[in-house]
Amino acid sequence: MAKAFAGKGFTFLFVYTREAHPGENYGAHKSMAQKIAHAQAFREHCHIERPILVDDLAGTAHRLYGELPNMTYLIGRGGKVLFRSNWTDAPTIELMLNYLINVRSRRREGERLAPFYAEFGGYRITDPAKFQQGLHIGGPQAIDDFARMMKVWAEQARGG
Amino acid sequence: MSDFTASDAYNYTVFEGQGDYETFPTPWHALSAAPDCSAILLDSGQPVRLSDYWRERDVLIEFGSYT
Repeated sequence: MAKAFAGKGFTFLFVYTREAHPGENYGAHKSMAQKIAHAQAFREHCHIERPILVDDLAGTAHRLYGELPNMTYLIGRGGKVLFRSNWTDAPTIELMLNYLINVRSRRREGERLAPFYAEFGGYRITDPAKFQQGLHIGGPQAIDDFARMMKVWAEQARGG
Repeated sequence: MSDFTASDAYNYTVFEGQGDYETFPTPWHALSAAPDCSAILLDSGQPVRLSDYWRERDVLIEFGSYT
């Protein structure tokens, strides 16, 4: 998607945060060197081509923007937030980018448009099996920790 | 030393469902000015600012990690 939209005026970035599911293989960051090494591994193993910005060890950028594990922001030229989502969903992002492209096309054709605020509740792709596979990246501890939390959340949902 | 202390709570060693995964606790809603900050560009190892990118183009920023 990044390549498809790069020619349409969009820059895609990835900000590398703390490890969401630390484990034996990829533990919590104790140094910037380690964090940078993890980001490099991520780039190589996941074939990331867009620029990766490594946040500082204290998570300044991550905390500033909301500290959610996999959020997305679309920031317009000049620095105005145009869209943000608490999770990252490719079809939703594509929808927003095409919306913006359409707005600009309409403006060029002479239509008078003014900014306005809207909210929507979206739907994101979920793939529990793929998520479980992803936990293997962190290591056995990451798998165990998440399994334990699933039980805790289930108990909480039952009112326990 | 102080940087590491500041990052201890942030860089949790055990996932315990820390935080709310649904609600933005920050005020940067749509149409507000995005906050600027710096980070290290992996390719060069040099510091860059987010505003370096949105000065000339729209920017889509995804936050995440390998795990």
